[in-house]
Parts: sequence; C-alpha cells; structure tokens
Amino acid sequence: MTNDIIIKNLVKVFKKHHSEVRAVDGVSFEIKEGELFGLLGPNGAGKTTLIKCISTLLIPDKGTAIVGGCDVLKDPLGVRKKIGVLTGGERTLYWKLNAVDNLKYFAALYGVPSNRVKERIDFLLELMDLKERANENVEKFSSGMKQKLAIARALIHNPPILLIDEPTLGLDPYFARFIRRFIKEELSIKLKKTILLTTHYMDEADELCDRVAFMNRGRVEALDTPEKLKKAMPQEQVLELKCLGDLNKEDFVQLKESVSLNISKQDGYHYLRFNTDNPEVLLSKLVDMIRDRAKILSVQVTSPTLEDVFVYLTGTSLKESQDE
Amino acid sequence: MNIILAEIKKSYKILLAYPVEIAFWIFSPLLWAVPLVFQGKALIGGLSSEKFGEIAGTPDFIPYVLIGAIISTYMASSVWSMGFAMRDETFYGTLEHILSAPVKPVYILLGKAIFNSFLATTYVIIQLGICIIIFGLKITLYKIVPIVFFLILLIAGLYGIGFAAAGLTLLVKEAHGLLHLFEYILFLFSPIRYPVEINPITKAISVIIPLTYALIALRGLLLNIRFDFWKNSLILIGIDLIIIPLGLYIFSWVDRHTRQKGTLGEY
Repeated sequence: MTNDIIIKNLVKVFKKHHSEVRAVDGVSFEIKEGELFGLLGPNGAGKTTLIKCISTLLIPDKGTAIVGGCDVLKDPLGVRKKIGVLTGGERTLYWKLNAVDNLKYFAALYGVPSNRVKERIDFLLELMDLKERANENVEKFSSGMKQKLAIARALIHNPPILLIDEPTLGLDPYFARFIRRFIKEELSIKLKKTILLTTHYMDEADELCDRVAFMNRGRVEALDTPEKLKKAMPQEQVLELKCLGDLNKEDFVQLKESVSLNISKQDGYHYLRFNTDNPEVLLSKLVDMIRDRAKILSVQVTSPTLEDVFVYLTGTSLKESQDE
Repeated sequence: MNIILAEIKKSYKILLAYPVEIAFWIFSPLLWAVPLVFQGKALIGGLSSEKFGEIAGTPDFIPYVLIGAIISTYMASSVWSMGFAMRDETFYGTLEHILSAPVKPVYILLGKAIFNSFLATTYVIIQLGICIIIFGLKITLYKIVPIVFFLILLIAGLYGIGFAAAGLTLLVKEAHGLLHLFEYILFLFSPIRYPVEINPITKAISVIIPLTYALIALRGLLLNIRFDFWKNSLILIGIDLIIIPLGLYIFSWVDRHTRQKGTLGEY
C-alpha cells in the first residue's frame, strides 16, 4: 500500500511584531492510501496550520508535504486536484445561493466536466439526504444541513484524499453522530478515501481513526493506533471521581501512584481522573486527603481513553493546553 | 472559460439578493453629479461658459459633468467591486475554499472583473437614459464602434487597477480608507469632474491615468468634441499594456505573500 500523504520535517512559523510562534515545529509522518488518520490536540496545537500547509493555503517555511504524489511547494495545483477540504463552522458556503448553485459553482472551480455536473450533484444530494431541499437558499438550512452540503462540496470532484478539519464543531449531538458515522462508513470504508481528520474531541478520534497522532505545541508527541497508544500507558486502569468542593491539582502532588492526573470542573463539580494500577488503594488515600474539603459524589473505575494518554504524554489536560 | 462563466453566474445570483446595492450603484454617480451642476450654474450664472469651453472643448457644463459621472462608474467598479471581490469571499467564509481549488486565483478574479464590467455597463446605460430624460442630455450614438472600442480600452486598464486593488484588500484587510484615498486621487487627477488642464500639476499627473484619455475620447465621441483619435487610442493601449501585467503581478505577489504569512483568511 502506497503513502497518499507524506509530511517531511514541516515547519511553519508565524511572526508578529517581535515575537514568533512555531505553529508546526518539524512534523513528519505518512498516511497510507485508504487510511483514516486522526490529528489530535488542543486548540492551538498546530493541527489546522498543518492541514492548511497540506492544502496549499499556507506555504511551509521548511520541509514539505507530498500529497497524492504532488509536492505542495512545487505543484500546488496538482495537490489541489487530489484533495477535498471540509472544515467545521457554518460559514463555508454561499448562503444566498441554493444547494444546487453552490455545488454547480464549486464543480466548475474543481474542473468537473460539464456533462457530468448534474449527475454528480444529484448523486451527492441524494447521498447527503438533501434532495428535498436542493433549491432552497443555504441561509435557511440548519447547521447540520450546512455541514452536509459542505461534505457534498468537498466530494464534488471525487478526490482520493480528504482533509477534514474539526468536522463536528458546533453541531448538535444528532448531526455530530451522523457526520462521524458518515466519515467512517461512507467515506472511509465504502468510498475508500484517504482521510486526514483533525479534532480536539478525543472520543471522536478513538471511534473513527485507524491511527492517530497527538499534536501539542506544534510537535507530534505520539503516533500509533488508538489501541496501542492506550496499551502503552503504564497504568491499566483509570479511577474517576466526581466531587463537590474546593480542589486543585496541587493538592495531589504527593500521590506517587498518580503518574498523571486530569482535573476538570463542569457545572460546579470537579471531575478527577487518575491513571493507576491499584484503584482500591488509591481511593482509600484520596478519601483521607479530601475528606475535609470536598464531598465525593461518585466513583468509577474505567479503562484509559485517548485523553488519558494525552495527559500522560504531555502532563496537561486538553483544556489546560488550550488555556495556556 | 468554465470558471469565468461560473464566477459570473454566481456573482449575478448573489447580487440579485441585494437589490438596494443595485440601486446604490445606479444612482450614486448621478447624485454626486447633480450638486456639481448646480454649483456650476451658481458660479457662471448659467449652464454654458465660453471660458469653460476654451479649456474643456465644450461650453456646456452639464453634459461634461454628467458624462464624467457616468464613466466614473467603471472606475468605482474597478476600485470598489473588484477591490472587494476577494475580500467579500472572506465575509462569506468561502475564500479558503475557492483558493484551495485547483485553479489559479487570477481566473476567479477575472470572472469577477468581467461580471463587474457587464454590471457597470448596465448601470451606465440606465444612467445615460436617466440623463437623457431628466437633464435633456444630447449624445450622438452613431459612432458606436469607436465608443465601444474606447470603453474596452478603458475597462482593460481599469482591470489592472482592480487586480491591484483586490490584492491590496487581501493584504491590508480594512482597506476602505486606502481605497477611498485611491479613488479621490483618480478623481483629482483625471478629467472626471473638471478639465485637468486648469492646473499644471493635475495636467501633468493626468497623463499617466487611463481615465484621462478614455474621457477625452468618449466625451469627444458622445458630445461631438474634436479630439485626436489615434493619439488617445495608442496611449491607452500603451498604458493598458503596462497596467494589466502590473496589476496581475501585484495580486499574485499578495496571494503568495499571504500564504506565507498565514493571513489569507484573516479579517
């Protein structure tokens, strides 16, 4: 199996005034033909910058990427013929045009032969279940329908490679589930597209991807299948506590057992996740430690998730990385 | 060709969604011309002046100003419509999607330019009709071939300005002030509102602006004023040959520069 995307020591630096940000800092990896590859990390990790370099919207400062056999620096038009780009967010289509006119315009732009445009648009509208609304202006569509039409647009020239950036961002759970299933079942399994997917939803990547790469501060921290990444964790179990009270990460530094801790606050509750080999022993210690400051509302022992792997590798949770 | 046609169709359909915009472009050149007509009338006590005729080639102030106003529609179209053509795509959220298509951005821009020329021509025809009916403007249209010839030369030169303006708005982002300044410079140094010969500086600078030669020729053809056909057409062709590649170069440079700096989709 050949590699559809080869990224070679790619560097992208943004300079503003007297400071510079190394948004992508020497990233290298390959994506095989037909593979569904996930690029994970918090906001600002460099995922979108990397995808923009691959789609030729940004010119790398060092290194390069070979996409479908074309070099992004030497043959950007060749690269663009091989890729379809799907981004999250509502405003990626012409709201004052209807679905058909949007697709007709992009069909011309992507070089779909005139005699195949109608057939292609009919097929995609049918595929995305938008046939009934084909002649309505996009401004009347819900967020989910707009994202469906954006998928149709990305597929209009039937590209072998898809670059999908945060596809479920801002969607309600129903449409997010639909989009995830569509990416996996239709685009990956049935149509056998090579897919590079960026997301900061770890569950999404776990559910969809054949392999994932963790990005943090412009670098790839780890790359493997979700199963292997999770198995590489030194602790096999995760102890999760839901607490009410006043708790900080610093309160738990003396716990040798907790190699990594993810503490988050939601709706007034603290959620603590400890990677551990011995949840029972750890739990008894925790009860003693926080008895005076917080009330434990629930206790759960689970298997590590990709987010736990991220915390283990980077020492920070996704949210902490985003806040920095 | 498909891309240019698709761009024209798309731009037309989007424009139809904004009817107030159409009315604005039709009436705004006339609205600024009318006070000038009244001002002229107040200054010289009538609508015709021998002194004005000595410089402008026609003593009639009204037709001179109105034709300047109408032809300036093409200038406004190149500065504003073409200038903001790519910027508008940022507002729609589609800029990155059209710039990641396997087509040179200049073809998309050319489609937008041609659409704007058709639109400006439609506005000009409506404006001429209004001027004929309301202001009694008398024009001679029997020289239609040379009129179209000079219009094409003018529009081609303005494409060069429009390409540069489109690049400028991608670079500067909030370019309203800069485009206003640019427009005022064109108004000042080309005979849109007044004969530039009145001042040695405006006369000297006007020689590098394509509008100058197009206005001399078009006023000559529409109002039966004597002018040098070959001189004006050859100079216009010469300016076009410089200004179009220059405009394209500026746009291509900005496209590459913004892809390097990462400011393409920024607002």
